[in-house]
Amino acid sequence: MNGHVKSMNFQQFMEQATTLLSLLLVMAVDSTRAVAASRNQQCGNPLQQTLKLSRLIQKESVDLIKTYKASQGEMSDLFCKVSVNNIPDPNISGMEHSKRIVSIYTHLQDFLLHFNRVYDQQTDLQSSTSPLLTELEIVRARSIYLGELINSLYQSLFPNLPVLDPAGRPTTLPPPQNVFQQKVYGCVVLKTYKEFLLNVFQELRTLKKKKLCIRRI
Amino acid sequence: MVCARVLQLLALACLGSALPARVDVPGKPENLSCEAVQQKQYISTTFSCEWQTVGSQTATVPTSYTLYTAVLPGSGQPYSVTTQKNRTQVKLGDTFPHYMTLEVWVEAHNKLGKIESEHLKEDSGWFVKTDPPSDVKVFSEKSFPTSLLINWTHLIPTIRLKLTYRIRYRQNGTQNWTPVPLGDTASDIKSFRLQDLQPYQVYEIQVSCKNAKEGHGYWSDWSTIVTKRTPEARPTSKPDLWRVIAEGDGKNERRVQFICKDPVLANGRIVSFDIKIQDPKDKVKNGSLEWKNIPRSSQGKITDLKQIDLADQKSVRVYINATNSVGKSDEASLFILAKARESELAPVEELKVFPHRGQLWLEWKPPNSTKLVSEYVVEWVGGAQIDWQKEKRNTTHTAIKGHLDKFVCYNVSVYPIYSGWIGKPARKEAYLEQGAPLEAPIVRLHKAGRNQATLNWTEISQGSRRGFITNYTIFYTSGTEVHNITVPANTASYTLTSLSGNTKYDTWVKASTIGGSKISFNHSFTTLRYAPGEMEFIVVGVSLGFLFIVVMTMLLCVYKKDVIKENFWPQIPDPGESTIGNWSPDYPLKADTPRENGLSGISVLDMDVCDGKCVFEEDKASLSLKKGKYLSEEHSSGIGGSSCMSSPRQSVSDSDEGGDMADTTASTVQYSSVVPAPPSGYKGQTPNSQPQQALFSRSESTQPLLDCEENPDVLQQEGSRQSQRSPPRPPRFTDGADPAGIAEQQELLEPLDFCPLGEDSEQATPVDGQAADWLPAAAPLSSYMPQLGGYRPQ
Repeated sequence: MNGHVKSMNFQQFMEQATTLLSLLLVMAVDSTRAVAASRNQQCGNPLQQTLKLSRLIQKESVDLIKTYKASQGEMSDLFCKVSVNNIPDPNISGMEHSKRIVSIYTHLQDFLLHFNRVYDQQTDLQSSTSPLLTELEIVRARSIYLGELINSLYQSLFPNLPVLDPAGRPTTLPPPQNVFQQKVYGCVVLKTYKEFLLNVFQELRTLKKKKLCIRRI
Repeated sequence: MVCARVLQLLALACLGSALPARVDVPGKPENLSCEAVQQKQYISTTFSCEWQTVGSQTATVPTSYTLYTAVLPGSGQPYSVTTQKNRTQVKLGDTFPHYMTLEVWVEAHNKLGKIESEHLKEDSGWFVKTDPPSDVKVFSEKSFPTSLLINWTHLIPTIRLKLTYRIRYRQNGTQNWTPVPLGDTASDIKSFRLQDLQPYQVYEIQVSCKNAKEGHGYWSDWSTIVTKRTPEARPTSKPDLWRVIAEGDGKNERRVQFICKDPVLANGRIVSFDIKIQDPKDKVKNGSLEWKNIPRSSQGKITDLKQIDLADQKSVRVYINATNSVGKSDEASLFILAKARESELAPVEELKVFPHRGQLWLEWKPPNSTKLVSEYVVEWVGGAQIDWQKEKRNTTHTAIKGHLDKFVCYNVSVYPIYSGWIGKPARKEAYLEQGAPLEAPIVRLHKAGRNQATLNWTEISQGSRRGFITNYTIFYTSGTEVHNITVPANTASYTLTSLSGNTKYDTWVKASTIGGSKISFNHSFTTLRYAPGEMEFIVVGVSLGFLFIVVMTMLLCVYKKDVIKENFWPQIPDPGESTIGNWSPDYPLKADTPRENGLSGISVLDMDVCDGKCVFEEDKASLSLKKGKYLSEEHSSGIGGSSCMSSPRQSVSDSDEGGDMADTTASTVQYSSVVPAPPSGYKGQTPNSQPQQALFSRSESTQPLLDCEENPDVLQQEGSRQSQRSPPRPPRFTDGADPAGIAEQQELLEPLDFCPLGEDSEQATPVDGQAADWLPAAAPLSSYMPQLGGYRPQ
């Protein structure tokens, strides 16, 4: 056997390997950039919008409580201090961001159910032109939008995870209540919701500060 | 495959042919635009869109448009509404989907198909149009006279929609807005401070807003205008000082009135002026001159400061400053030279003043002087108005910036200022706009003649002229043709010539400017029948002629009175007063030299006879009719009318001077003569040496001798007939002074019947001059024989 021939083969192999690796590397960098660009665009905008919307709803919920108290008559300040059972927890649970986003989404769905209940009750208690009803409608509508944004954000952040179920988990609504109970219930729900929204805002702001979308590169 | 395709095409062709002509699938809607407006503190859920349709609607196949609006992300159905117009509105749920994405499109559909427009997918804030900011307020601060603070509010909370603003402002009364740079009005502000403004000026301010996100939203309308005046500040420019010079009361004195206007940058309301007048030769009083405070005029923009009487040989310096509520301005100064030295400061050259595009423009050339001009003052005086403006040193043309009235004559002057010293002005008169005069000249007749007339007209007053008079046109007519004559503007009278005499003329004058003309009232006059002096000439001529005639007649009478007398009042001697005198037939008559004693003259009266041959030649030799005067102391009567001689008389026959005796006596008949007395009593008589012949006594009648007496032999036969025919006549002349002489004359007088025509012609009273005109008529042969050759002494 000729040794020169053996070395030539090895060199050819090395050249081909080098070429192949270079190509792979270039493809990997390109794909990474594309992914990064797409991730940034998809992540940044929904997050920003979700953050702003949560901020808006949280602000409007503060005004909503004021309006609610003003429309409930005397002793309305005491209504919110009463403890009521089966009100969704305003705190967000989970260790990972994905879990926490899921927690936000599910809690939001729960609160929407109670919110609807309060709206129905106040529809009976207030006049049709009451500003409370208008504000309740607005907050409810925005909350639905917030849920859509949360879902969109989750999908953009965690595309591989299962989509969020809009139906959420089963929630227990209180039994029929008297007027006083309805007033107390409504105040407690709105106050808790306000706290929840504040938690959501803070969570999303944390996500934004962490620049989650960029670090995932 | 091919057959199927062919069948499809055939089916489409049939379907297409079955449908009415000109029907197609709907056109794709284009230029879709939508907006969501503000509603109180929210954005309205009513979403308005419009688009452009392609193709037209047809009644048979109408096209419908459906607007779709989807809120993203969202799983719900898009909101939609259908219309056949190109605009519609759709309601987006219970609240405007802030921070959500909206996807909007329009679908056009008809029976033939449908087509969608381009999808418009943007953040919901992209479509928002807010209301303008409300409650805009502007604040001024005394400590910042060049700044104004603007505050405003907006109903939409920032949490809902973050807004950006824009601001614009302008000075009150101006048209152009000044925008504040967008970079200066950062997002989400509610106030802004305007700077670099003019103190004590009113500003108008407006604010507008939109979605703060770049490229999103529509600008709102401008807010309502808010006005505010900036605070006062100290004047930052000098007052405008000037003067008006007039003749003073005293001789060699000028009355100077100092006037001024507010500083351009008054920065407030000028309250008063401080003025200081300094005579350069006066010493400073106590180290500082006195300032006098003068309140600003409450009316108008010009303040009268002070009036002084300045001697022509003196100069003066004036200083002033203006004061407002904050402080005083810098000093302005003006220096007036002594009158004699004014020429040292040369005026501008080639000054032109002309109207152009509604303004009065000036052009000039710098003065030809070694001294440096610091600025120019353009002054204009019209009627009661005076104003001025200052121009920079390098200005050579400018327009008057003040208000000028039309039809007013302005006296425009340009003064060069040499470091405060006023130079000599250049002046021109000008009108901003000329028009027809308000008044017409008054035309009057100055002097009229027969063929000419001089007209005068008054000059139109300055206030009514309304322009420079370019010419006068004089019109005149006698009723048939109108004549006109154009004369220069500097004339005030004109003489019309070639007029008809004794004719009435109407005349009028037209005064013209470049802006029009004015015609005077008619003035009528009548030319004279006669030229001036003509009547006088005629009268004088006639009078002189008459006078001449009278004088001549008088002279004639005076110098030819004898002839006249003889002709008109022939002397007929009174036979009763004739006396017998000695008469010698051959006694030559001698011309006696007149005596010196002043004796009464005795002349021989020659009587004309009708017969032209009354002078016989034989009588010529014998008789010599002496001309001249015969002076005799003795009264001779009957000789040539001596009976009537109370005064010396001359011989009438002057024409016979030196003439033939026959001629002399051809026209006269001597019928008597005076026998001279003895030499001692006569003068001028040449003593005759010849012995006197026999003297015959004869009656000294002036009657011519009869033939019978003359030629008794020949005429004896005829004498009887004559005597029968001619009765003796009474004497014509009577002389009361000497009745004896008259008697003698009467004796000698024979009936004057020498004219065969009878006595009528003899007795007719002769008129003046007739005596000389008497011609001897042909006398018939009668016993009456005229004496020829003179007087034959008997």
